[in-house]
Amino acid sequence: MSQQTIHSDADVSTDSDEDAMISVRNLKTYYDEGGLLGGTPVKAVDDVSFDIRSGETLGLVGESGCGKTTLGRTLLQLEEATAGDVLFDGVDVTKLDGSELQEWRRNAQMVFQDPESSLNDRMTIGEIVREPLDVHDWKTPRERRQRVKELLATVGLQREHYYRYPHQFSGGQRQRISIARTLSLEPDFVVLDEPVSALDVSVQAEIINLLEDLQAEFGLTYLFIAHDLSVVRHICDRVAVMYLGNVMEIGPTEELFANPSNPYTHSLLSAIPEPDPTSDRERITLHGTPPNPRYPPSGCPFSTRCPTRIRPEEFRALDDELWTRLNALKNTLSERKRAELSVRERVRAAVGKDTRFGSIEELYDDLFGDLEVPPDVQSALDEIETHARNRDEDEALAVYHDAFGSVCEAETPEYYSTGDGEHRSYCHRHDEGYRSPGAVLDRRHR
Amino acid sequence: MSTSITSETGEPDSEETVLRERIAENPGPALFWLAGAAVLLALELGRIAGWITGLGSAVGFAVNVIAGIPRWIGGNVADATVPIAEYFVGDALSLLLLFGVASLLVGLAPWSAADRFDFGASPRTMALLERAAVTAVLAALAVLFVFTPVGGLVRTAAAAPFDLLSSLPTITDHEVISNRGHRTPGGGWEGTFLGLSPAVAWGIRVLLVYGYALVLIGWVWKGYEIFRTHYRQADWTPRDDTFDRFRSHYWGLFGLVVVVLFIATALWAPAVSPVPAEENIYSPYSYEVEYLEDGEVATTTIGNANLDTQSDGQNTVGPMSYDEYDRWAPLGTTPNGQDMLTHLAYGAQTSLVIGLLAIGLGGLIAVTMSLLTAYYKGIVDVLTVIASDSIISIPAFLLVMMLSVIFDQGNHVLAEPLNGGVLLGLIFAFVYWPGMWRSIRGPSLQVAEEEWVDAAKSYGQTPANTMRKHMAPYIAGYIMIYGSLLLGGVIIFTAALSFLGLGINAPTPEWGRLVSDGQSFVSTSSWHVATIPGLVIVLVVTAFNALGDGLRDAIDPEAAAGDANTDDTGAAAAGGGG
Repeated sequence: MSQQTIHSDADVSTDSDEDAMISVRNLKTYYDEGGLLGGTPVKAVDDVSFDIRSGETLGLVGESGCGKTTLGRTLLQLEEATAGDVLFDGVDVTKLDGSELQEWRRNAQMVFQDPESSLNDRMTIGEIVREPLDVHDWKTPRERRQRVKELLATVGLQREHYYRYPHQFSGGQRQRISIARTLSLEPDFVVLDEPVSALDVSVQAEIINLLEDLQAEFGLTYLFIAHDLSVVRHICDRVAVMYLGNVMEIGPTEELFANPSNPYTHSLLSAIPEPDPTSDRERITLHGTPPNPRYPPSGCPFSTRCPTRIRPEEFRALDDELWTRLNALKNTLSERKRAELSVRERVRAAVGKDTRFGSIEELYDDLFGDLEVPPDVQSALDEIETHARNRDEDEALAVYHDAFGSVCEAETPEYYSTGDGEHRSYCHRHDEGYRSPGAVLDRRHR
Repeated sequence: MSTSITSETGEPDSEETVLRERIAENPGPALFWLAGAAVLLALELGRIAGWITGLGSAVGFAVNVIAGIPRWIGGNVADATVPIAEYFVGDALSLLLLFGVASLLVGLAPWSAADRFDFGASPRTMALLERAAVTAVLAALAVLFVFTPVGGLVRTAAAAPFDLLSSLPTITDHEVISNRGHRTPGGGWEGTFLGLSPAVAWGIRVLLVYGYALVLIGWVWKGYEIFRTHYRQADWTPRDDTFDRFRSHYWGLFGLVVVVLFIATALWAPAVSPVPAEENIYSPYSYEVEYLEDGEVATTTIGNANLDTQSDGQNTVGPMSYDEYDRWAPLGTTPNGQDMLTHLAYGAQTSLVIGLLAIGLGGLIAVTMSLLTAYYKGIVDVLTVIASDSIISIPAFLLVMMLSVIFDQGNHVLAEPLNGGVLLGLIFAFVYWPGMWRSIRGPSLQVAEEEWVDAAKSYGQTPANTMRKHMAPYIAGYIMIYGSLLLGGVIIFTAALSFLGLGINAPTPEWGRLVSDGQSFVSTSSWHVATIPGLVIVLVVTAFNALGDGLRDAIDPEAAAGDANTDDTGAAAAGGGG
């Protein structure tokens, strides 16, 4: 596997810009709670860069809460970008406002996830599909009605459905109405936000086929947000994998599915059920839950759960189980560090009673009581315990990182090009000097 | 798939019509309905013209009050600074006011001048220019009206046809069906309708009034049904279900009937009363009554007659009786000797004006604020919460009393119409909007989170239209219900204030004052003075609550479907991780 570093984001943009319709550069979308004192924002999208080419379908996958919907909404200016650019045919749309933004919105539309909620029940189908035309003063009212009826036929509904109301329709039909509304202004770019996840499986296929037909007919460019990997594999030309606000891997669909680079993609793909009963592929189970996007981990966002995390040289030989426990210890310490202790808990801690976190002894007993711990690990653990007991989590974590930390927590990774130039992955393991994620997974999980 | 429905795309689209064309195609039912409407209109043309005149003068009063605001603020600024400031501040504010009106007009106009001319400026600049131009035109018109005789001429010219029309006789006029006359020595009646007894004549007139009101409503409903069967393109709308549900809601129907009777009484107050309020209440010494005394027809002023027909415990003219001046008193007389039903009918007008003003204006503020706060959230929301909490934190009764005393004692211009009735309506609107806003805040926040609001934003719908088309319909039901419930409260509140001697001053008829005046006679033969208005208040308030109940049940079923869970982070199902 050829692996080469792409050293800066500037290089990324020059790399594959030629036929890009949309270029996303260092995009960040943070949610503030609107507190008067600022506070720590939720980093829903955290420094994302990629291109979408004219006429292609880019899939965006990731688990719930990873920021994929926020990313889609930010591209359409439904959320305000905190930083970065979204270049649409060379124009930065995050800087548009007023009538320019209004005009631009004709070009970019969205199909929403839940067809029950995206159609106003008090309006007829005709009014719903016509509204974008009314907003943009498209031709005459008569031509608008005519166009709406044609659109209804295009998406596979009857023309006389014009005067019906949304709740007379099934979920799949409602999604067709939603698609008709999206197409009314002849956009170039459509964000499909999990367009089939709320539908029955039998209807899903129909809608997917409709979307593909429409793409061929009108030359649409799709950003297809989904968590259903088989659907993504079916419809997408390229796929971007998101985790905790970051794009972990992006590449051509077949290559990414057949030959994933990033450890997160590996684990994501291993969750697809294998129809072959003789398959010996094992599911990679990730430990814990995704970190709070308000306090993402330092270094690589996946480092807290990564099955191929780089381990320090001297502890290479440690048991996987022990690593899991060590990781749990670190997460607990970080949580304790962030937690605000109430006055009552401070008093309880001072007089030696338990706080709601329990004592360090209990924690150690839970984690390491039933394991053989080598002496060099034990000495580090003892030191951590001392600091933790004094409620000095900063120091405890510093000791932990000294002993067990690696480049994964210390530095943010680069995008490494793997395979042909288009396939990029966000992982330290692609650097020279480390073994590739695939190889490590084979060793640790097979 | 995309080409599967092409069979009918080829034929010309015959259903592509607007209402006007559909009516032109099949004019029969529409003409039938219009003919009926014309007959109904002709029967009561004079009274309807009178209503329009009344409405016109109310609008004129409102315009005068609003137009006076800039001058008033300017005067205050001048008092605090230099005298010349009065003109600058006043004129600037007037222009600002006109600009607001211009924006409204531009927004309402079906076409826009900005589309006709193209200077190559951005649409926003064009819109601004258009509004500025309309403002200039309005300002010129205002100057023309205020500083030249044109204003007076136009006003007279506009009012003249309505004045003329309102003098036309209608079938419910006192002149047409008169119940005022005197006995003849021979035992018959002189001066009444067909020589019938006043009681019968009055009965016929009252039946005509309510019959006409019912037929009018029935005809409007008929019009809707004709539209539905002959002209509407949709074969079904959600509104059909709402009507169906309301039709089988008997408690709500009871409310509707009583409310309709109440409104009809208020609108036809002169026809329902046996004597007009002007003669019996406002200037009784300017009018005379003829009566038979010792076989001779005698004459005295109504004021003098009233003094002899008081219901004050010793003397009583009870319900359904004639007083000693042969005047028919269907509900007896008041302690002042005035006619009770006249008081009740005109009092219904007072209550209706106060109630509609309070709920209409308060509801308008509440809906506007709830839409704005739900759509924009943030600082607008916080400020509105602070403002509404400040108002709510003062006991409503105390606040209303304080405000009404201040304006009354200050002889403010607002305290003039209806002897403080309009003022009370405005005060109620001010006191009640925070409560209404609070009650619809939840639903509006909920609807603002719906995906169709996002969808509207994604294709560039303006915030104002988004609120109007995608949010307002969902809170309209709530505000109608709270409004109709509160309307009863306002009527009670007004009565309570008048009972305490605040609120509406004499001579404007008011129900609460009747209860107050009659309370000491409840145990005497004059029991009717306090009891009847009290019962009417109970009935009307109950009816408004019943109507509110019915409306809620008719509108509600869709509220249960609005449980959309819109989560920004696309939380749909478990991902690949764990």
